[in-house]
Amino acid sequence: MHPFGSLPENLADFCAVLRRDHAFHIGAGELLDAARALEIVDLSDERSVRAALRAVLTGSRDDAAVFDAAFDRYFFQRQAIEQEQTTPVQRELEPGPGEEGEDAPSRQRSDASAAELEDALGNGSGPMAPLETNEQDGQDRFVARASYSPAEVETSQTPDVSEIDEAWIAAARALVRRVQLGPSRRWRPAATGRRFDLRRTIRASLQTGGEAQAPRWLARPRRQPRFIVLVDGSRSMGQHAGTALKVASALARATPRVEAFTFSTSLARVTTDVRRASTGKPRRFQPLASAWGGGTAIGACLADFLRRFGERLLAGNAVVIVASDGLDVGEPETLRASMRTLRRRCGALVWLNPLLETPGYEPTALGMSAARPHVTTFVSVNDLAGFVRLSRSVRFRS
Amino acid sequence: MDAATIRTRFRDRAFVVDEAFATALQIALALEKPLLIEGPAGVGKTETAKVLAEVLETRLIRLQCYEGLDAMTALYEWNYPRQMLRARLSETEDATIEEREAQIFSERFLLKRPLLEAITERRPPVLLIDEVDRADEAFEAFLLEVLAEWQVTIPEIGTIRATHKPRVIITSNRTRELSDALRRRCLFFWLPYPTLEQEIAVLHARLPGLSERLAAQIAALMQKLRALPLQKAPGIAESLDWAMALMNLHRDHLDVRGFQQTLGCVLKVHEDHDVARAHAAELSAALGEASAPTQSGGYRLDTDFGFGSVSTPRR
Repeated sequence: MHPFGSLPENLADFCAVLRRDHAFHIGAGELLDAARALEIVDLSDERSVRAALRAVLTGSRDDAAVFDAAFDRYFFQRQAIEQEQTTPVQRELEPGPGEEGEDAPSRQRSDASAAELEDALGNGSGPMAPLETNEQDGQDRFVARASYSPAEVETSQTPDVSEIDEAWIAAARALVRRVQLGPSRRWRPAATGRRFDLRRTIRASLQTGGEAQAPRWLARPRRQPRFIVLVDGSRSMGQHAGTALKVASALARATPRVEAFTFSTSLARVTTDVRRASTGKPRRFQPLASAWGGGTAIGACLADFLRRFGERLLAGNAVVIVASDGLDVGEPETLRASMRTLRRRCGALVWLNPLLETPGYEPTALGMSAARPHVTTFVSVNDLAGFVRLSRSVRFRS
Repeated sequence: MDAATIRTRFRDRAFVVDEAFATALQIALALEKPLLIEGPAGVGKTETAKVLAEVLETRLIRLQCYEGLDAMTALYEWNYPRQMLRARLSETEDATIEEREAQIFSERFLLKRPLLEAITERRPPVLLIDEVDRADEAFEAFLLEVLAEWQVTIPEIGTIRATHKPRVIITSNRTRELSDALRRRCLFFWLPYPTLEQEIAVLHARLPGLSERLAAQIAALMQKLRALPLQKAPGIAESLDWAMALMNLHRDHLDVRGFQQTLGCVLKVHEDHDVARAHAAELSAALGEASAPTQSGGYRLDTDFGFGSVSTPRR
């Protein structure tokens, strides 16, 4: 059966697997919540156990998909393997993290329900049926489970975002500063401003016995730009994609308003990963596993981006940075149409082409020549010097 | 309250929830943790909170987030003009300065904003923090503090603690990614578009007079439409609008012509109409598929003399 006799121990082990293999952030608090959640739901029903744990342990839609797969692997597959090798373990109930201070009847109930769960799992045929035929390779399966981890895929296939040093962050700050946007429509309290703030002046006058002595002012803060980085993940980009992700990570350090996507044959949002990378936390470039190393359908992916995220992310304050070599396998017309729409809906459209530094390179590839007319800033960023150059040359229509 | 009860209670209020969602709600209520609901627009995220408040027979307090929302607007403000007036009027009184101060800075002069209101409410209310992704990161950090401590410190009065934790529903449209810290503090549920069966159930629950055939057709078409590369995919709100429009037009079923006439209820972007036109064949196939099984049980077109919208139980 399961590696441990009691439900709390299995739960703790399952959480440890999620933490180790899938980089979930599960602390003692989450574990405790999960244990409490299991006390509430009907343990004999696999779906409600799954729904309960999913609600507690996951934090985003991507996490939820990873969780579902891990749940199946942990609670169904491993059991199928071990069932063949060992006789059912005599289970004894030990107080777990969620059971302290709980009264006896309900403890018995949860014990009984746990037994039901085990029975239900033991008799369940659906998920286990194909596994029982080849239980010999249990050890291999265990390895396969580990290699499911997106974190491991990342180390082998996806580019490494190496340490972001101060110079990169400084260049990113310069880039953010360079994008000059007008004042926003909102009035905010400020030490010196253009408009008299009667309400706060009265408020301040309470300190001086109702006599207004210090006037207060309102000013309009500057509008903040939003950066959207779209990184081409096709094989032809090679390590340049890593550089582009590094640009995104450096920007994430300089401003909170950064969104990052990768695309090759399909589009994937990697904002969370980029943010984690920017703070030096473990990175999970999960969606890259499928998006990495294929040909590129730039036009189709940009159209997909416009459709799915355009409405929410694009506005006059958006700086869209596309990092691609422009080697497109799709129709140039699709790319042209997407670029036209993209240009219309953002403030600046920057294209980072790593090939631009190659002597004698002309952007004459079909895709590149289709995109070129709509690009406001066309540069290459292969190193820090290139990034600094970008931060000086970007032009913005405000 | 267990998941099955939640499902029936929600069902009574014409809101259809599936088992996973009911379980998430059950746990959120039991663990007294905020529930973060994400999902596409128009699947009933906000509605969930409203119905939950009805089910729990408590107040719904709503904090609508927007860019530039600050702590003062969410928490409390002093009613300055009223304080000023009071200060002036009480100048001639014999009260000491301390007494006058205590009077001016009492709860009577406090304008409660949603968060403080939720904390001071006697029965635990349902606090809906709507579209939290629209507020900026600074506000999110502030929100974390309130959600963790459930207390608010007002310098002039002191610390106000919640007697009961409010039930918190947070919704997000994913305009931007929320911080890990906020996600960790909450339970998470992804509310997807409904399945075919769920959508039919929703249509019947909301519009009791709707004919079965029409409901099946609308739900089938919605499934097809959401699979198309539309700029703005229709949600449940759109299918309800559509069903209502067709009922008002006295249609008991949907044909190609009626579909084209009323497409504006569903697709709100001009380009999407082009997309729908390009996929007309698939969509009209969906019309046929959905109508076939109910044909024998439902009214037939040739015998239905304009009484299409009059619906009777057909079982």
